[in-house]
Amino acid sequence: MERQEEVRANILNIIRDRSESGRLISAEEILTELKRRGLLTSEEIKPKTHLETALKQALQENRDVKEILAPNGVCYYYSVRRLSETYAGILVLKSENPLWLIAEVVRENSKRYPRPVPVAGFMESPFDLTLEAILECLRVMGEDKEYQDIAQTITSVGKTFLYSSRHLDPDYASMLAEWLDVGQADNP
Amino acid sequence: MAKHGGWAGKVLRVDLSTGKISTEDTLEKYRDYLGGTGIGYKVIWDEVQAGVKSFDPANKIVYGVGPLAGTGAPCNGRTAITTLWPTCWPKALVASGHMGGQFAAELKYAGYDAIIIEGRADRPVWLSVWDEKVEIKDARQLWGQGIRRTTIEINQQMGPEASVAAIGQAGENLAPMSVVMNSYSHSAGGVGGVMGSKNLKAIGVRGTGSVRIAGNKEEWEKLIKLHLSLLGANNQHVVPSNPQPWAEHYNAGSRWMASAGRRWGAANPSIDTGACEPHNLNRIAYRTNNAAYFLGDKAWQHTVRGNGCTACPIRCHTMLKVPAVSAKYGIPELGQNTCVGLLFGRAFFKSFPDGPKGQTAIEACMVGMYLADDLGVWDNYGQLQRDFQALYYNGIFKRKVAEKEFNSYSWNKYEQGDPTFLFELLPRIANKEGELATALGLGTGHLLERWGIPEQEWLENHDLLYWKLGHPKHHSNEDAGQCGVIINTQYNRDAQCHSHSNFTRNGLPIEVQKRLAAELWGSPDAVDAVAAFTPMNAHKAKMAKWSLLRKELHDCLSLCNWMGPWVASPLKEREYRGDDSIESLLYSLATGDKKSRQELDTIAERIFLLHRALTIRDMGAKDMRTKHDTIPDWVFTDPKDKAAFSKGTIRMDKEDIKLAMDMFYEEMAWDKETGSPTKATYRRLGLGTVADELAKRGLLP
Amino acid sequence: MTGEKQKHEILESALDFINSSHSSSRREFFLMTGGLIIAFSASGAKAAKEGPVIIMDQAEGLVIADPTKCVGCRRCELACTEFNDGKASPTIARIKISRNLNFGVNGIPTGQRGGGAWGNGLVIQDICNQCPHPVPCANACPNDAIVVRPPTNARVVDSKRCSGCKMCRRACPWEMMSFDSGTNKATKCFLCDGSPKCVEACPSGALTYAAWRDLTGKIPPRVAPTAIVAPEKAQTCNECHKK
Repeated sequence: MERQEEVRANILNIIRDRSESGRLISAEEILTELKRRGLLTSEEIKPKTHLETALKQALQENRDVKEILAPNGVCYYYSVRRLSETYAGILVLKSENPLWLIAEVVRENSKRYPRPVPVAGFMESPFDLTLEAILECLRVMGEDKEYQDIAQTITSVGKTFLYSSRHLDPDYASMLAEWLDVGQADNP
Repeated sequence: MAKHGGWAGKVLRVDLSTGKISTEDTLEKYRDYLGGTGIGYKVIWDEVQAGVKSFDPANKIVYGVGPLAGTGAPCNGRTAITTLWPTCWPKALVASGHMGGQFAAELKYAGYDAIIIEGRADRPVWLSVWDEKVEIKDARQLWGQGIRRTTIEINQQMGPEASVAAIGQAGENLAPMSVVMNSYSHSAGGVGGVMGSKNLKAIGVRGTGSVRIAGNKEEWEKLIKLHLSLLGANNQHVVPSNPQPWAEHYNAGSRWMASAGRRWGAANPSIDTGACEPHNLNRIAYRTNNAAYFLGDKAWQHTVRGNGCTACPIRCHTMLKVPAVSAKYGIPELGQNTCVGLLFGRAFFKSFPDGPKGQTAIEACMVGMYLADDLGVWDNYGQLQRDFQALYYNGIFKRKVAEKEFNSYSWNKYEQGDPTFLFELLPRIANKEGELATALGLGTGHLLERWGIPEQEWLENHDLLYWKLGHPKHHSNEDAGQCGVIINTQYNRDAQCHSHSNFTRNGLPIEVQKRLAAELWGSPDAVDAVAAFTPMNAHKAKMAKWSLLRKELHDCLSLCNWMGPWVASPLKEREYRGDDSIESLLYSLATGDKKSRQELDTIAERIFLLHRALTIRDMGAKDMRTKHDTIPDWVFTDPKDKAAFSKGTIRMDKEDIKLAMDMFYEEMAWDKETGSPTKATYRRLGLGTVADELAKRGLLP
Repeated sequence: MTGEKQKHEILESALDFINSSHSSSRREFFLMTGGLIIAFSASGAKAAKEGPVIIMDQAEGLVIADPTKCVGCRRCELACTEFNDGKASPTIARIKISRNLNFGVNGIPTGQRGGGAWGNGLVIQDICNQCPHPVPCANACPNDAIVVRPPTNARVVDSKRCSGCKMCRRACPWEMMSFDSGTNKATKCFLCDGSPKCVEACPSGALTYAAWRDLTGKIPPRVAPTAIVAPEKAQTCNECHKK
């Protein structure tokens, strides 16, 4: 029993450490890390079931540790003490499905704050998308009816913002983009 | 050794006409007014008669700080300067300016809570305040010099730690658009000319004393740490500008600019600002980079570090190093300032060849700071530059200024966005050379009058942002709908209130803001999402009252209203809640005078009421609603003619605003028809004698 | 430590004498105190180890300051004095920023060409080096009031023994001795017993509490010391260093 507790504790440390450095970790990577740190005995380096049980229990017992499912079916783990759900959501989508990421971020921002999102923001950390990748996504979105709600507005200084028409109408989005990009700084 | 906690205990009074120097006991005379603007309004009420003009010897200047100045309370570096305001048009009324830097703390360490300057010296002088040794000194050698030289020469006499508040040529020449400046980049607008009119070139302060904390020092330490834990970035923006690992929220418009990869590029070696997780109190200083906020990403490589007021961890001033300006313009490669002061140079130009966030814009800022912060020219919260653009591009300069003089300006340079143009313009404003410069130096109200331009034109113009009495709006409906409009009606210069805009711009989602608003002002309906404003309700009036009272309180305690109040925080575990009692907790522990949040707000109300009474008295009018609390026409328009309360407009509705003023007056317990405080209200707030005086003049409702 | 015990015994017996003789005459008093001085000197000449206090132990830690990170907020000075003394006082602060804040360490003569906010922006934070033996401030103190305090072994002013003569201030080449004119006592950095308040307070992380190392040869002095070390203390050097 104690040994299993020890394994669970190690798993938690690994997850939290990885979150501390701003990253998610998969079950596979946890296993690799356990091995690398020499924390598993030779019998324990077995098929995943052993790890899965330990992981499941660790999750149950520790409310700060969360699981998030990536589009490719892989589960990632993180600790909300160090990594927010928002950030985890971005990390999980950015390499797997930047299209969906952009759409989700734009829709979430349009609904919740509410506000449009600068396109240039997707080039910065943690999105780290290239301009080409973003433009390609926008092109695909323009043709796919799943993404008909994603629209653009351009501020008076030429910066493009994205918004979801499900939550913001064009005038409102245009006003908010202008406020964010120009207005706030002009009214310091 | 200080008798009281917080307060230094003495107010210094200097009569420049007679040379008499005396002190008063702060608490004996001004206890009910706390400090700062409280002492300022009290002195003006008691000692300066209605009808006195700004540059009359009978006008007084009160440099006031509060019991928290000089302590370790975060964000306490402000000095409030109260006087009859030169740019207030058509008639000078009481107003206050603020300067940050080290002056407030040094004044406390020298043993004073305020300096009252009276009269007029018969020749240029400067005031030396060195602990208890106060002297009026000959400033004839300093007169005609800029702020920089003046400061250094006084430091040569008083030592490097002395804090010097000085005027430049603009103030000497009685240009109303002039400042007093201390600590290199910290200015108080509008005051320069008043000092100049008194022949007061500068005040140098050296304080070797201390400020006592009345309360238990362990408790004080805990309270300071609590306050620090609630801080966001500049303007109390509590979310970062782009996603950070620790952050649930983020906001592209946030001043919390730190991020991995964003570096203080001109530090040696450069420093990465990093994620700045909010529990890490040793990284607060990296959160804000106002140069990057205003001038774009290019500013990062030029950033040496942040700078700012005593005891403030935010460092809202950015120190920039731009080597190119040395060869190009012959100015030092280092410059520093924040917000409007930083943008002084850029704001004149309609455009630059490489855009508003390009290299030329940065250079224009460097040139602007170099000139304005030495000459001591004020820009009235950007109104100078907005007026300049309008007056030029609408052909008004050409019409009002003689041809020879008009042609002496290199307008082609101006139109091309060439920063060298500023070398032609700013010195002329400071030295009142020529009609154009002289008119600009008067301030908007007097300029319009001088040139026969109806104020109505400015009141209708959506882009000029002019409000009334010669001053612009300062965080109005664009930030907080009706609440912002109410706030902007209340003062005799631009409102300078940030209580409300700090909140609405904090970056939290609207549902979180509404949840916090419900706790603070009684209902989630107190706040709307920007540009999705809803009709007036009583809670918005409560928010307006809270905003105004807290601003006044901060100006009396010495807390920075550009940072406080601290009712939202970056902490998820607090559900982004701050603490509405921070001011009262700090006050109580520092001074030993235990006051609850409500009790302290009541004192703030008294001080705000005194400002109201002064305005009524000096206007000689009791109908504040129509004569003073006016709102410009542009507030009720929209460039696309969208209707008020539709999404995507900040347009206000006239009837709704009438209701807003009704509700505000009700909230304040003022007469609803006139907006004038009632006798009962004056009495309730301990201003019975003020009411009596107004009654004598027929100025009670 | 060294020389404490015998000196204390002498002191105690002297005090007993004073306290017991209710009506000791002036002459008796002078005889007694004169005797004390001779006794001390004698003990100094005879057995240095039992004479004046000479600090030998190294400090365990030191506050290290990075001037490129200093943002000139002075929260370190305020934390030092508010949290230790209950009053905000840069003058008394045991880490010193204010004097370098505007014009750098070389001060006004450098105008806008030196350090500080008016110069290149660098603010040098003056910290106590927790000097190794020979400790200038301690050695200059005629009352042996600067002692070593475990566990940090910081050099600390024992305010009970301090007479306010300010000789220590003359001794420190880095002008790090503070004087509290309210209490009339000298004070200096005592590392807050291992958790320096200044380090905790710095909003830019410019200060670190690190393992002690000798910085005395690395940081240029601000002044030439003008302290006078009591002869009996100076003579103790011979106990270890005499050929």
